[in-house]
Amino acid sequence: MKGRIRKREQDPWITSRVRILQWIGLGLFILLLGRLYWLQVVKYEYFKTLSENNRIRIRVVQAPRGVILDRRGRPIAETQGSFDLIATPVDVEDLAGELRLLSEVVEFDPEEIPGKISMAKKANPYRSITVARDLRFEQVSVIEFNREALPGFSIMIEAKRSYPFGAEFAHVLGYVGEASEQELAAAQAERLAMGDIVGKYGLEKTRGDVLRGVNGGRQVEVDAAGRDKRLVDDVPPRTGGTIQTTIDADMQKVAHEAMEKRAGAVIAMNPKTGELLVFVSAPAFDPNNFSRGIRKDEWAALVTDPRKPLQNKGLQGTYAPGSTVKPFLALTGLEEGVQDPKATVHCGGSFQLGNRTFRCWKEKGHGTVDMYRAIVQSCDVYFYTLGLKLDPDRVSSLERGAGLGVLTRVDLPGEKSGLVPDTAWKREVMKDRWYSYESVLLGIGQGAIHVTPLGMLSAYASIATGGEVMRPRLVSRLVRMDGTVEEFPSERERKLPWKTENVAFIRRALAGVVNDYGTGGAARLPGIEVGGKTGTAQLVTVKGKMVKSEQLRYEIRDHAWFAGFAPVADPEICVVAMIEHGGHGGSAAAPVVRAVMQEYFRLKQVAGKGGGM
Amino acid sequence: MIVHKRFARMDWPLFLLALALSGVGLLNVYSGTRVLSSSGIPLFTKQMVWILLGMGVFFLFSFVGGGWIEEMAWHIFFTVVALLLVVLLIGKVRGGAQRWLSLGFFTFQPSEFAKIALILVLGGYFSGRYHYDGLGFLDLVPAVGITLVPFLLVAMQPDLGTAGVFLIILAAMTVIACVRGKVFLLMGAAGAAAVPGLWLMMKDYQKQRVFTFLDPGSDPLGAGYHVIQSKIAVGSGGFLGKGYLRGTQGSLRFLPEQHTDFAFAVFSEEWGFAGSVVLLLLFLALVSRMFHLASQAQDRFASFACGGLASYFLAHILINIAMVCGLFPVVGIPLPFVSYGGSSMLTNMMALGILANLSRTRFTFPPPAENPFSV
Repeated sequence: MKGRIRKREQDPWITSRVRILQWIGLGLFILLLGRLYWLQVVKYEYFKTLSENNRIRIRVVQAPRGVILDRRGRPIAETQGSFDLIATPVDVEDLAGELRLLSEVVEFDPEEIPGKISMAKKANPYRSITVARDLRFEQVSVIEFNREALPGFSIMIEAKRSYPFGAEFAHVLGYVGEASEQELAAAQAERLAMGDIVGKYGLEKTRGDVLRGVNGGRQVEVDAAGRDKRLVDDVPPRTGGTIQTTIDADMQKVAHEAMEKRAGAVIAMNPKTGELLVFVSAPAFDPNNFSRGIRKDEWAALVTDPRKPLQNKGLQGTYAPGSTVKPFLALTGLEEGVQDPKATVHCGGSFQLGNRTFRCWKEKGHGTVDMYRAIVQSCDVYFYTLGLKLDPDRVSSLERGAGLGVLTRVDLPGEKSGLVPDTAWKREVMKDRWYSYESVLLGIGQGAIHVTPLGMLSAYASIATGGEVMRPRLVSRLVRMDGTVEEFPSERERKLPWKTENVAFIRRALAGVVNDYGTGGAARLPGIEVGGKTGTAQLVTVKGKMVKSEQLRYEIRDHAWFAGFAPVADPEICVVAMIEHGGHGGSAAAPVVRAVMQEYFRLKQVAGKGGGM
Repeated sequence: MIVHKRFARMDWPLFLLALALSGVGLLNVYSGTRVLSSSGIPLFTKQMVWILLGMGVFFLFSFVGGGWIEEMAWHIFFTVVALLLVVLLIGKVRGGAQRWLSLGFFTFQPSEFAKIALILVLGGYFSGRYHYDGLGFLDLVPAVGITLVPFLLVAMQPDLGTAGVFLIILAAMTVIACVRGKVFLLMGAAGAAAVPGLWLMMKDYQKQRVFTFLDPGSDPLGAGYHVIQSKIAVGSGGFLGKGYLRGTQGSLRFLPEQHTDFAFAVFSEEWGFAGSVVLLLLFLALVSRMFHLASQAQDRFASFACGGLASYFLAHILINIAMVCGLFPVVGIPLPFVSYGGSSMLTNMMALGILANLSRTRFTFPPPAENPFSV
């Protein structure tokens, strides 16, 4: 006690103060005893009846998920009311019989539902669970008419996730469904209960924490037939938070329609900010089907479709880039100082390396071409020559810097990086040395190289900005349930050390592709200078012959690419279209990019005239 | 020799009351959890282990040297504050209310220990400030400052119920530390006046948070659901109760948290008004004994700390039972010794051990009657 003596010999003051607290405590104890007497003795009969035939049922009210908006505040995911069939396990008298009766009116899984109801009965028999969602009016009336025979079941209006644009935003938004057993087991902290709706894919999943509200509940007293008699208590649900995306619904629609009956991806971005304006993967699916509970046959059709509608091709599909890499080879040549843009190569239609012949896509050859002409005409021979001349490691390092073969860190899940090969990869992964034919193939984006459309977009955006690589993103702002706002500003991933004049040269050449008798004429827009590059990724070579892609079977047709930006002088939009087995990039992909850009500039003009963008 | 003396001076009534209450709690945990689909060790067994461990903690704290506790007070306090900060940081990452710290083999709530730490620190502070005119306004300012540290950290978790207990402890200890009556009333009035001002300054979403504090929302159906079902459980118990293991509300899972915060509902459904009165009398005896020891201690630190600990138990008991009876908003405050829970059991046993330890100071000086100098 550090030598302090604080003797007090029962200070009467302290004793009296302690007594005060004791008296207060005693008073409160007596108050509690009085309350217990009131509840347990005076009101005993009342509570006894309530407890004995406890006719209070708990109806969980699913919280509406938060709204997802497009860049101009239009809802692209919202909530609608739907008539749902619910079961209250304690009131079910004859489960098999009641379900048999219901199966005549409602479609449900005859194997899953009985198990679900018995599981719910174990958890809390007084708490209702949803059995079938989004019933039609006729179904509702039949069930209501047969109430007496279905004591355990009733109809409740619940919140249903709805997507006003249907399949257009499928891969961005994803879809929702009832929490699976694994999700329930994993998410104890998130207070997930059986039957809760959770995001399963896309933003619905990755931003589920923001979108999910807090379920409400109603306690209702029911009569013997299970009909609601009196509302005892009502805790309203709380709607989840709001997410604003950078996607433009109008442009998304145009892109989606341009991809109709095709497989592939279209992505548009503001190269300066990384804001994604369009993110379409085709074929898509209608997420509304998941909201009402997807049927087995619908699900089977989705997962067995060879064109993989559930895959987001924009960031999960990897493809050989074809000629779209040519500008990056040219830029490597310029940056490394090994290729004079004025230097010419003669293209006679083929290129010889040892005893191997590499053909140019133009059988008769391009004649004498310099770098500008080679890009504009997409001359293969020029780039075979250049590819062989360049150090493959310098090429891959520049391409990766631009965004090819690396993750863009987009705010969507499941992104794949693809691959840009180099000598180290060849040595370490393939256990082999680098062969010079690989350098030749690298020149036209064939061989081991494969990239995602998003990676391609990032690479062309870095040309558009002169070396600023922005992180692509589609969530711009979110407002959480408690009102806290989170803004997502532009993030610069890296600044590439490209010389201004070199990038300017490449941009001029890309403008030439579209406007100077090049391969990308189909992307031309009146009044706005578009720059870009076509690509046709070969899947098969037919020995010794030039075969038009259109003459091949669909599965072995070439992939078509177009990547571009506009206006060339100061690019504000960058678009990539990749069409699986689309044939030639110039004819299949360029018009898609054109359509998206046209819509962008149309909207901009409308906004300029006071339309409000 | 010393141990023997300390054993002889142990306050056995305190220990036996705690043991009796823990026994009642254990039986109740069995009744409340027997229908829960049990995977792993039953909660009954776990609670038994907690009681045994708790007894160890009790003896540990009651046998250490008397001065040690006072000397350690600030160290304990700063450790607990650091733990609360850790909880808050982890909580921020996970989002939502985060009160628990995982130690791998078990999780515990530092906020429970923070209450004890605060009592010891305030006891030390007040014993240094005590004077015969009573404490003035300026004496209270540092005490309020000390209390606000754990209060704010816990309120940010957010757990307003536990945070409120810190304020109750502060208020009770200022009374015991002989604050001047006027000063106390003035402070109380100032505190009360601050509430509406604070309320007006708060933004809408902050107010919403306060509502969420009051309703911890551990069940989607919210506080109203708990209270109605809890009242039905208590009321349907009647005078003699439905009998042990015959409660229906609890076993039908109408009651949420039936073995933790709502343990008293399960108990009074099965044991009725008669059982509830017995339980309340046991609690009353425990708390009275604590207050008695507080007034008997011969050392001011011991008096204040014992008084603080007694108030802490009193607050927990009253708030929990009032909550179960629908007289108080639902806050996450367990019923000492009866509710299931390791943190709560260990904290309570530790508090009791400290109390038993400090109360030994009543033997330090001969009682006044035997004092040859007294008249």
